[in-house]
Amino acid sequence: MNLSSSYVGLIGILGLLGVGFYGLLTTRNLIRIVIALQILVKATLLGLIVAGNTSNQINLVQSLAVTVIVADTVVAVIGIALAVQIRRRVGTLDVKELSTLRG
Amino acid sequence: MDIPIFAWVIAIPIITSALVYLAGHLGKGPRGGRISQGVAFVALLITWVPFVLAANEVRLSGSIELVVGTVSLYCDGLSILFAAVVLGLGTLVVLYSGPYLAGENGQEKYYAMLVAMIGVMIGLGCANDLFDLWIWFEAMAICSYLLVAFYRERPASLEAGLKYLVQSATGSVLVLIAIGFVVSQSGTLNLQELRATIQPSFTVLVVGALFVIGFGVKTALVPLHTWLPDAHSQAPSGISAMLSGVVIEAGLVAMLRALSALATPIHSWSILLLLFGALNMLVGNLMALRQNQVKRLLAYSSLTHVGYMLIGIGISLYVGEGSAAQGGLFHLINHGLMKGLAFLAAGVLLYTLHIQLDDHGPLIIEDLAGAARRYPVVALTLSLAVLGLGGLPPLAGFMSKWQICVAGFETKEVLIWALIVFAALNSVLSLAYYAPLVNVVYRKQPSRVVQQGGPVPISMSIPLVILALAIIVIGVWPSVMSWLTSPAGSALLAAFS
Repeated sequence: MNLSSSYVGLIGILGLLGVGFYGLLTTRNLIRIVIALQILVKATLLGLIVAGNTSNQINLVQSLAVTVIVADTVVAVIGIALAVQIRRRVGTLDVKELSTLRG
Repeated sequence: MDIPIFAWVIAIPIITSALVYLAGHLGKGPRGGRISQGVAFVALLITWVPFVLAANEVRLSGSIELVVGTVSLYCDGLSILFAAVVLGLGTLVVLYSGPYLAGENGQEKYYAMLVAMIGVMIGLGCANDLFDLWIWFEAMAICSYLLVAFYRERPASLEAGLKYLVQSATGSVLVLIAIGFVVSQSGTLNLQELRATIQPSFTVLVVGALFVIGFGVKTALVPLHTWLPDAHSQAPSGISAMLSGVVIEAGLVAMLRALSALATPIHSWSILLLLFGALNMLVGNLMALRQNQVKRLLAYSSLTHVGYMLIGIGISLYVGEGSAAQGGLFHLINHGLMKGLAFLAAGVLLYTLHIQLDDHGPLIIEDLAGAARRYPVVALTLSLAVLGLGGLPPLAGFMSKWQICVAGFETKEVLIWALIVFAALNSVLSLAYYAPLVNVVYRKQPSRVVQQGGPVPISMSIPLVILALAIIVIGVWPSVMSWLTSPAGSALLAAFS
């Protein structure tokens, strides 16, 4: 039972990581980039829980997961705030049109 | 509960950052900014008292530990060295930022974030648990995202902030995955317990690689460096100095702490560090050669200097002997001072030549032509900083590079010798972009931009003079810093063995 649940968890983690990295690499929309980052963090949260489950440290990893959620929310908020400012100042959410800094 | 003195070094800046923000609301407009600056400056000055006491205590006893429940802080030589650089540069940057930011909105947030970032970085040096390390690291990153994107009405600044945020957040995801692996392998996250329990295996190698990549984004290891030139050139100059002088080194300290928990295959880590060191030196120099914006040039040269630190520390781990690591850490201090000074001096010129005239364009090298006639102090300190970075004796940069080179030659290994020669050649190559800066400043006729420039405020000159004196003093008497570098070097090596 324990083994199978961690296998299911592992498939979930790999799936979420794949979706997150795919989104991060392909999308050009700023909001979607922030969402892709969120998906990546959710994958790691699942990873922490599965890791704690296999090593019987579920209390430890649950406290870690809650802390990660808090820290990650702050990052997401800043990301969205930057996106809002960029939409206001530049008038677009497309990273390709935004890119001016080179070299 | 008995709270050791070093905890106050972390606590005072973090607690007072809220006060700094609130104090800024006492006055309207520019007055509020000045009040915030005053409170921030006083708070950092007060922090020096527990710092000196803690440094003395660590010198006598080697290390101090604070345990609260399951969380612990561990202060050793490396923590003290890093705290000294952070606090020193931070205090000067707060003093410097007053006129630079005059007239900007949101100054109280700037000072609050800056003071909080200083406290958090000192805490990062004292973390004794992989997850605590991640928390401090993330808190530092959050403060720095906001500071990089401080000019929120400028598209370029927002772009730099966003680039920095996305890359850095991806890096911290990788660190979290590595922490997940560690939990599944050993069930503990305490660095000392991990050193005792973890067995060499394939998973440990994966974990180490994830740490190197994850923290490497912040340390600007090539090819994870692409955020760095944008963030450093678009941030306010005081923040560029902090980013280049201490934030990227915070990534290095975090990486070393995390790797030291997996000390088992020590050789492979050292080779990885040496490889990245060589790559950083070469790419940093080649990119810096192509720049014509002063702040971007300095930003790329940070890559090179991270390379020297990695080489010093890598050699030490490779042969298990401390003097090269001491050289690497000595270079961390010197780079903080020299690059801090270079960014602050370039910032003064940016301020007098552009910002005062309501022009938000970048400072290009041609703008500096003949600046020495009009701004002798700024030109002299800028030249001292870049010549020190290039490694000319008798300035600080020469001493730390020399220490790394001597320690490398003493290893009597052909590979290391080749690397040292490569580092020395890179040091010469770097003069190819530092020397023209000095040439332009001193030997050209004053440009139109320089002739139109405004006066230099006194509170911006004081930090420049202090840093320039420090560079010369360290260059002439390198042993004044050995009370910081030798305990830090031995603490680092003890953690790995």
